Amino acid sequence: MAQKSRQSWGSKLGIIMAVAGSAVGLGNFLRFPVQAAQNGGGAFMIPYFAALLLLGIPLMWIEWSLGRYGGGFGHGTAPGIFHSLRQKNRFIKYFGVIGIFGPIAVLVYYTYIESWTLAYSFFALTGKYAGATTQAQLQSFLSAFQGLEANRYFNSLQTAYVFFLITFALNIFVLYHGIKGGIESLCKIALPALMIFGVLIAARILLLGIPDPLRPDWNALNGMGFLWNPDLTALKDPKVWLAAAGQIFFTLSIGMGVILTYASYLKKTDDVTLSGLTAVGMNEFAEVIIGGSIAITAAYAFFGPAGAQEVAKSGSFNLGFVTMPAVFSRIPFSAVFGFLWFMMLFLAGITSSVSLAQPAVAFLEDEFNLGRKRALGILTAVFFVLCQPAIFFLGKGVVDEMDFWGGTFCFVLFAAIEAILFTWVFGMDKAWEEMHHGAELRIPRAYKFVMRYVTPSFLIVILGSYILSEGGRNTILMVNVPDANRPYILGTRLLLIGMLAGLVVLVRFAWKDKR
Amino acid sequence: MNIGGWIFLALSWGFIIGLCIFCLYKVLSKKEGLD
Repeated sequence: MAQKSRQSWGSKLGIIMAVAGSAVGLGNFLRFPVQAAQNGGGAFMIPYFAALLLLGIPLMWIEWSLGRYGGGFGHGTAPGIFHSLRQKNRFIKYFGVIGIFGPIAVLVYYTYIESWTLAYSFFALTGKYAGATTQAQLQSFLSAFQGLEANRYFNSLQTAYVFFLITFALNIFVLYHGIKGGIESLCKIALPALMIFGVLIAARILLLGIPDPLRPDWNALNGMGFLWNPDLTALKDPKVWLAAAGQIFFTLSIGMGVILTYASYLKKTDDVTLSGLTAVGMNEFAEVIIGGSIAITAAYAFFGPAGAQEVAKSGSFNLGFVTMPAVFSRIPFSAVFGFLWFMMLFLAGITSSVSLAQPAVAFLEDEFNLGRKRALGILTAVFFVLCQPAIFFLGKGVVDEMDFWGGTFCFVLFAAIEAILFTWVFGMDKAWEEMHHGAELRIPRAYKFVMRYVTPSFLIVILGSYILSEGGRNTILMVNVPDANRPYILGTRLLLIGMLAGLVVLVRFAWKDKR
Repeated sequence: MNIGGWIFLALSWGFIIGLCIFCLYKVLSKKEGLD
């Protein structure tokens, strides 16, 4: 069977924007400010930047290099890429299954959450939630929209499902047009657009002044202080260091297998060091500068220190879908700023979700020699079916379960595996040489030591801490899960095990055919 | 916001903006395109 020619990127800036678009997601605007405010404020940035330099940037370079290396052998996903590292080993490719499984496990609930942002940007323009101005009313609006209760806003899941279908179709449309015509074109428009929207909203929030003259201390500057005033005693707490490492890990889209796939469409002589670092810079701009200036600052200015504390504790979704609409309802042109906020989140979401789907598409294209349209046709049906539990069983803990196994556990595990395979199995000297093919930026030699020893150790510590932490143990052992939800959680686990097993079988078949 | 907050904000924003300018300058000053 003749091997099909692989797709390629149209420009260097195109792949940088695609990787940055994959990294910039809802977490940049919703998770980062909450993590910083809860873990020492400005002092959080010390472990945050330490993790960026010792974990985030090295893993970014490892993934770009691994992806480009595997692409040279016609492989765009982890099984094939790992196989090309040591072709004599029959088992190495099976480690790569996690690099396809993880993104699919996240994609099937992420697309639904992304559809909420599209729905809310529509609601902002049409004034659908304009009557709900308090956080309690907006919470009620969100619960009814999600189908968790019926009230005067919504009495079924119908509206949410329609927006899910639209979002799902948009994702498939982008993927249908391929790497250059679909993903690259989307990211070249969406990434600058979301940055502009973010800067506009941040400027508006920072220029709020004193919204309530009766409470002069509740202002944007003190809101920034709530996030940035350092509590240096927090640095003694290992949990703060782990929280910073976790934030860096999840914000950069590393350990997902996505960057491997994107980089596999590069040519051998294309730079990876400068491109990887540029994608990191863009993501950090969106996270620290834009994300750090909007949500918590606004919550403080309108709801005061106790309110902001409460909001930070109530989690990311609450901040995005309840607190922010409540904030916008209190400023002029609330519909415009509400629309910009949710459209920014939607653009951040869709550039991430198409990246989550691409490894599976590439796997069928590269390993089964299927055409893009045929591969996408099969996967559209599979993804659509897999999305349904997250939609219909949202209130049963299904999404949290998928997020823990797919979006937390597998990502850290996969990153540890790829770092060890690249620097130890492939060998640090060969890895270093591979990274510097066509490099436009020389990596400091100290990173040889960092990549070989520090980064894998850091990942093993993070993985261990997740498993051994109270939250991790409770999730694994299903502690605190109501009896009524247990069948749904077990069903989700069976589904995930089935997906993993299915992928192992597919890898086995693919290599059997190759022989 | 206290002086410590301003220092951490200035250092963090300065590092990130500097990184973005450095990288984008290097990327855009090269010939565009992958060839």
